[in-house]
Formats: sequence, C-alpha cells, structure tokens
Amino acid sequence: MTSRPHRIQAGYLPGLPAAEVDWQVLSFAQRSESLEVAVPVLSAAQMDALAARVRGASALHLKTMAVSDIIAVIDQAIARLLDRSDPYRQQAEAYLPVVSGYDREMVRLGLTGFFKTFRAAQLHRFVAEDFANPKLLDGFQPTPKGGAVRAFGPDLLVHNWAGNVPALALWSMVCGLLVKAGNIGKLPSAEPLFAGWFARLLAEVHPPIADCFAVVWWRGAGEDGASGGASALYAQADTVLAYGGNEALDAIRRRLPVTTRFLPHGHKLGFGVVSASALDAHKAPTLARLAAWDVMRYDQQGCYSPHVFYVQRGGVVSPRAFADHLAGELANLHRRFPRRPLSVEDSAAVARWQQAVEWKALSSPSGQEAADQLIGAPSAAWSVAYSDTPQPLAPTATQRTIQVVAVDALDDVVPLVAPHSRFLQTAGVAAAPAELFRLAGLLGAVGVTRISAIGAMSAPEAGWHHDGRFNLLDLVRMTEIEQSAELAAEPFAPYAD
Amino acid sequence: MDKATPLVADLLEFIAMDGCTDAQFDQMALRLFAHQFAANAPFQSFCRLRGITARHVKTWSDIPAVPIDAFKALPLRCEPPAATDRIFMTSGTTRGGSTRGQHFHPLLDVYDLSMARNFARRFMRGSAKRMPMGILFPDEVAMPNSSLAHYLDLAKSAFGTAASQTFVTPQGMDLDGLWAALEAAERSGEPYALLGASFSFVHVIDALRAQGRSFRLPPGSRILDTGGYKGQSRELPLDAFYSELSQALGVARTDCINMYGMTELSTQFYDDGNAAVPSVKSGPHWIRSRLVDPVTGRTVPAGERGILVHCDLANFNSVTTILTEDVCLPAEGGFLLLGRAEGVEAKGCSLAVEEFVRATAA
Repeated sequence: MTSRPHRIQAGYLPGLPAAEVDWQVLSFAQRSESLEVAVPVLSAAQMDALAARVRGASALHLKTMAVSDIIAVIDQAIARLLDRSDPYRQQAEAYLPVVSGYDREMVRLGLTGFFKTFRAAQLHRFVAEDFANPKLLDGFQPTPKGGAVRAFGPDLLVHNWAGNVPALALWSMVCGLLVKAGNIGKLPSAEPLFAGWFARLLAEVHPPIADCFAVVWWRGAGEDGASGGASALYAQADTVLAYGGNEALDAIRRRLPVTTRFLPHGHKLGFGVVSASALDAHKAPTLARLAAWDVMRYDQQGCYSPHVFYVQRGGVVSPRAFADHLAGELANLHRRFPRRPLSVEDSAAVARWQQAVEWKALSSPSGQEAADQLIGAPSAAWSVAYSDTPQPLAPTATQRTIQVVAVDALDDVVPLVAPHSRFLQTAGVAAAPAELFRLAGLLGAVGVTRISAIGAMSAPEAGWHHDGRFNLLDLVRMTEIEQSAELAAEPFAPYAD
Repeated sequence: MDKATPLVADLLEFIAMDGCTDAQFDQMALRLFAHQFAANAPFQSFCRLRGITARHVKTWSDIPAVPIDAFKALPLRCEPPAATDRIFMTSGTTRGGSTRGQHFHPLLDVYDLSMARNFARRFMRGSAKRMPMGILFPDEVAMPNSSLAHYLDLAKSAFGTAASQTFVTPQGMDLDGLWAALEAAERSGEPYALLGASFSFVHVIDALRAQGRSFRLPPGSRILDTGGYKGQSRELPLDAFYSELSQALGVARTDCINMYGMTELSTQFYDDGNAAVPSVKSGPHWIRSRLVDPVTGRTVPAGERGILVHCDLANFNSVTTILTEDVCLPAEGGFLLLGRAEGVEAKGCSLAVEEFVRATAA
C-alpha cells in the first residue's frame, strides 16, 4: 500500500473560488488506511467577504422562511444521511472512521442513532422545548400580559467546534438554522469533514439557502494566523458558540468584544449511580451490559461519557460482582467494536492510570489489597478499577478505562461529586422511581444537568438542554411590542373614528 | 551496609570495567533482580501481579519495569531505613502533584562511581585536567534531597579546580559573581565549564540580553544543562535555547552538552553536543534502555516511537528497571527524546486528566 493517500477538500465556502484560498493539509492514518484532508485558511479580507455574504443571504433567504419549512429542509437532508445508499452517508461511513480512529461499526451505529434525533418530529419537539409557541420565530405573537413578542436569531452565529466525536457539529449547526442565523463554523482539526458535507448537502436539498452558512478552519486558537481570518470573523459575530477545554474557551472569550454573546461548552465529567434495588441476579447483568455500552461509545470521548460508576452495597449482586460483569461486557464489546489504536501518548496515559491503581492497592494496608484492584490484564483494551472505599469523582484515562466504587447509600455519592460542580453534566442513574427523583434532586443541586438511564448516557435525546442551557432560547433576542404601543397605535389607523 | 558487601563490591568492580558483554550485563541484572525480588516486598508484589518470578526472567528486558509514579506511592528499597540514608526526592513539579518520589541510598559509593566514570568520559572527554567550573544550581547543603545538587557538587569537587564556584543559592543567582568569573575566564584564556539546570541558563540568557552584553568563553569551554524548564523560566524550543545559549556565552553548540538524568536512576545519559536537536542520548555500559508500549510493556517494533524503560545496574537498592514517561525514537547508538508523555489533549469533549489536575490545583 504505497499509493498516494486519498485527498478530500473540506469546508464550505459559498462565493469563494477554491483556487483563491490557501489550503492546509491535515494527514490521518489509522490501521492500514490513510487520508489527507485539505482545510481552507482564509485571509482577513476573504473572511470579511464571506461573513458579509452569509449575513446577507440569511437575511434574505433564511430569516424569511417559516421554522416548519426550515425543519422540512433539515429533515430531507437527515433522511439522506440515514439512507445507507446515499453518497453522503457512504462517504461519512468511509472516512469518519479514518479521521477519528473509531471502529467502523461503532461509527455506523453512532451516526444512525445520532441522525435519528434530527428528523422532523424530533426537531419540532426540539423547538417546542424552548418555545411554548414556536411561531414566535416567524412573527409577532400575542403575549398573555398584553402586547406581542417575536424572537430574532443572530445575524452571524460563529461556531468553534472541537474534538473527534464524529458529526458533533450537527447539534449547534441545526440550532443555528432553527433560529434562522447566518452560520460560520470552524472545523475541528480532529474531525474536519462532517460539517462541510452537511453544508453542501443542505445546499443541494434547498439551493436558495446555499449562501446562508460557511465552514472554515484555522490553526489552534487562531492567534498565530498571519492571515487574521479568525480575528476578522470574531469581530463580526454577534454570537459565538464554542466547544473545548476551559483554557481554550477562555482564550476565545478574551478575543471577543464585550457585546458579543458567548456560549461556551467546556469538557465534562460523566458518572453513573447504581442502586441496590437494580442489582438482583436478573437485572444486574443487563445493567452491566448497558453500562459497558456507555463506556464503549466513542471510547469515552463524549462529554456525557461515564468515568466512574458508584454502586450501592446491599443488593443481591455486590458492587465487586457488578464490576466483574462490567469487565466481562467490555471484553465482549471489544470483540464487536475494537478500541481505536492508541498513540504512544494515549497508551502512556492509560498505563499511568492503571499503574496508579495497582500501586495504590500494593501500598494499602494488608487485607485491603484483595478489595481494591484492577480487573483484567493491563494489556487488555479495557480496564475496570474497583474500589471498596469511597472515591471522589475524577477522570480516568478514557479509552475504556472505568472506575467502579462501592458506596453504602446513594446519598454518599453527592459529596463525592459536589466539589467538581463546574465539570458536571450527565449522570446515568439506575434506581427505583422514588430513589431516582430523590437522588436527581440532590445531584441537580450540586450541578448535574442531565440524568439519563444507564445505557442512554451517550445518546442524549432530541431537545435536551445541553449543559443545562436553552439551546435555542440562548441564541435569540426577544423583541416586544408593549401593550402601550399597541394601544397608542389605534388612533393613528386610517379607519380610526 | 558498606561497600564491602559482596553485591556492592561486585557492582563497583562492574562499573569500573571498560565495558561488558551482553552476557555479563544479563548476569548482573539477574543477580540484582533476584536480590530486589527477595528484599523489596512491594516490588515482589508488583512482579507477582504481573505473574513474574525469578524463573521467568532470563534477560534484563524480562524484568518488570516499575513506573516512576511508584516511587511516590511507597518506599522502594531493599535495605531497612537507617539514619545515614541519603534520600533523593523528585521535584514534585510535574502534574501539580504534591507528593514527591523518594529514592533511598544507604550509601552513595555506587552512585558516585557511576557518575564520575561517566562524567569523566562524556563531559571531561577523557581529559585528566581539572577545569574551573561555575555551578548554576544550589549546592547539596542547601538542597540535601536533590540528586542534581549532589551530582553537581560531585562534578565540582572531583573535576573542578579550586577556583570553581556555585552561583546559585535558594535566594537566587549571584549574577555579578558569575559575570566576574566569566570575565576572568575570558582574560585567562583557560577553558571554563558552566553547569546547571536548564532554567538557570534561561535566566542567564535573559539577564545578558537585558544588559545588552555577551561573553566569548575561551576555546575548549563547555556547558552542561539538564532538567528542562520545570516552569521556573520561560519555555523555549530546544533549537532556540542552544542558539541563544551559544550566542550569549560564546560556546559552540557542539560543546553544549545536555545531561538526561532522573532522581529514580543512579546513572546519567549524555549527548555529544547540540549542533542539531534533538540530539542522540546514550549511557555507559551499566545501563540499558528499550522503548515500550507502556500498556503492554512490550518493546515497540524497530523504528517506532515508544516510552523509555531503563535498566540501571547502579540502582542496587531500589529497582533496576523503571518505566519513564519519556517519549522517544530509537537512534544510532542511543535514543532521541521527543518529550514527556503528558498533556495529552482531550480528543473529544470528555474532561482529560491534565485539565482536571490543573483545575483542581488552581
């Protein structure tokens, strides 16, 4: 296999000929496949022109569409992405595993599950989650207090995407479209393909909106770019949606004018809680299988991925036995969906985490040794660390490394996670209904924003409130016609008596 | 324990040899492994966890490599603690951890012979003539738990002339004293050696630049830097570091030698100058290294990047074989250090250990 790697041109630049743009090549190699992705680097002048075009086109073509018509367009695009014979779907299945390193079958299943949350019915629900009356997005609607109100989306919404979870850009891009914003997104270097494809697909499905969005790239935080494209874009955005580590987010925030709305989504730390009531001989193995799926999906790279499972003592199946079930299921899943090959750095991080567990066990007082341990061979493509004593929430090395911690009571979990409130988002909970609501109250109070079933942690439902925020409401500005204006207008009507 | 103990006496003799065969290296490595397996309880537990006993170890590369973090978790030693032990501690600056790794030395004869034999060949380049030395690191009175302070004191007392001086105290660097010594060296024409922490050299470079001056040390002068910046100075790329260093002091880059050492080892590695970076590092006959995949512990295929494992026969009281966190490429006669395997950026949007540690330390 010495042939030249296949090259794909990424991004989406309406009105800008490819020949006039600088292209940077990102190389990817996984297993025996390699791929080159050319990403566009724009000068400040090009970025200015692009922003003006997107802003103008969305004012003309997107802001004039009814929300339900926009939903119909997205639905058509999603239908094509769900169709395995469609060329867009086929290229996603062919190339996303190469850039991300994830197993093909894992990517295929992940994409289907993900795309299903963007079909028309789900999108209508998505809008209804944030707008009791979705027609607010199309025109002024009467309000109970009197007068009328209308929601306006941003003229230029800038997205800064991050990470290698395939197609993740879809969330924020769909949000932007639903509020009729002009959208320009910056591709993540780790997955620079999907956003550009989706833009092209939308333009194909409904050509009038072809200029209402663009997809670009710049290196890192964009500060070193001689071209200054990033700065030009940030200066023009009225809202910026950004994903990444807190340091990267801070760097972006410091570049924005104070009047620009900034919506950051930082890295998060997920965990699960299993009640003794869920641990009978029938339910526990099933639950362990579901937990293993949450660990396996995208090798724990999602913000919703679990790092720790807190398991209550007192059930028929002990926390230690649950950890063994989990280990067994992870071993099974590795056969179906092998873990991505690790770089030396990833491998070192996994080894460091495993060895810390081992040495902690070796250095604990005798008798404790048997209780705390690493389950499975260190060289396996997954690891379960079991602890018989309470352990604070902390990240594992990901790549299917998971900590199981035994607790006496579900309430014991709260002080273990509370110190990290700013990193909390998803908690998977397996408990009886009364326990679920009680625990949800406690976890919500310390910062958890999403409680899901175990097994659904890595598949948020349509219309979820990402990081506890309003995905659409946060993007819009409300314009109100107060009752006084409405009443004062009456005498000026041509038909006024 | 004294140096007449058969194991120590044989080890001193081994280090004093001019070289060794593979069989001789393995023989000493296996003897030390048997000793450490028997006398170092945590190490024995670790080996058993890996399913390894003395029967499984046929060659040095079969010895399980102990991760350097283990030096923080528990005492790794064969001899029982004694009031006369020298304890070298890691700086504890990496990854914001407050616990420091500890390396126990019941006697320093082996460490000192290892250092001196290797230093004589690699830094003094076989010359028996002492050099005037300037040390840019506190001495071991100020820092009794620093292996680097001990190393540099030893360099000064065993290889330096009476005019050699230490210019750094825990209070700071005596720049005026240093300038005076460098001026004297320029005047005398006698080769001068400047040794210290890499970050101290950055401070020297910055101070010289601020004062708009530089030195031209006499031909034959040499510089030894070690240990990286450790957050104690601005960080600069290797190439910029050596070109600025060379310009500031008038020492050719081929005479700027970097020492790679670790508190967890008793032997150092050197390059033969830094005209090109990264330079090839190599050690003496009593230490061997291989590159592994840290999860499996297996040696990586030839030519691929891996994490360094060292088998240091001078580590007689702790463990000979350690797993570092240094990413390397193999090279002719040694290895190329590419950096530490830390700061792995989150690939997705799941919080990575590094960011978590930084956030919780803040």
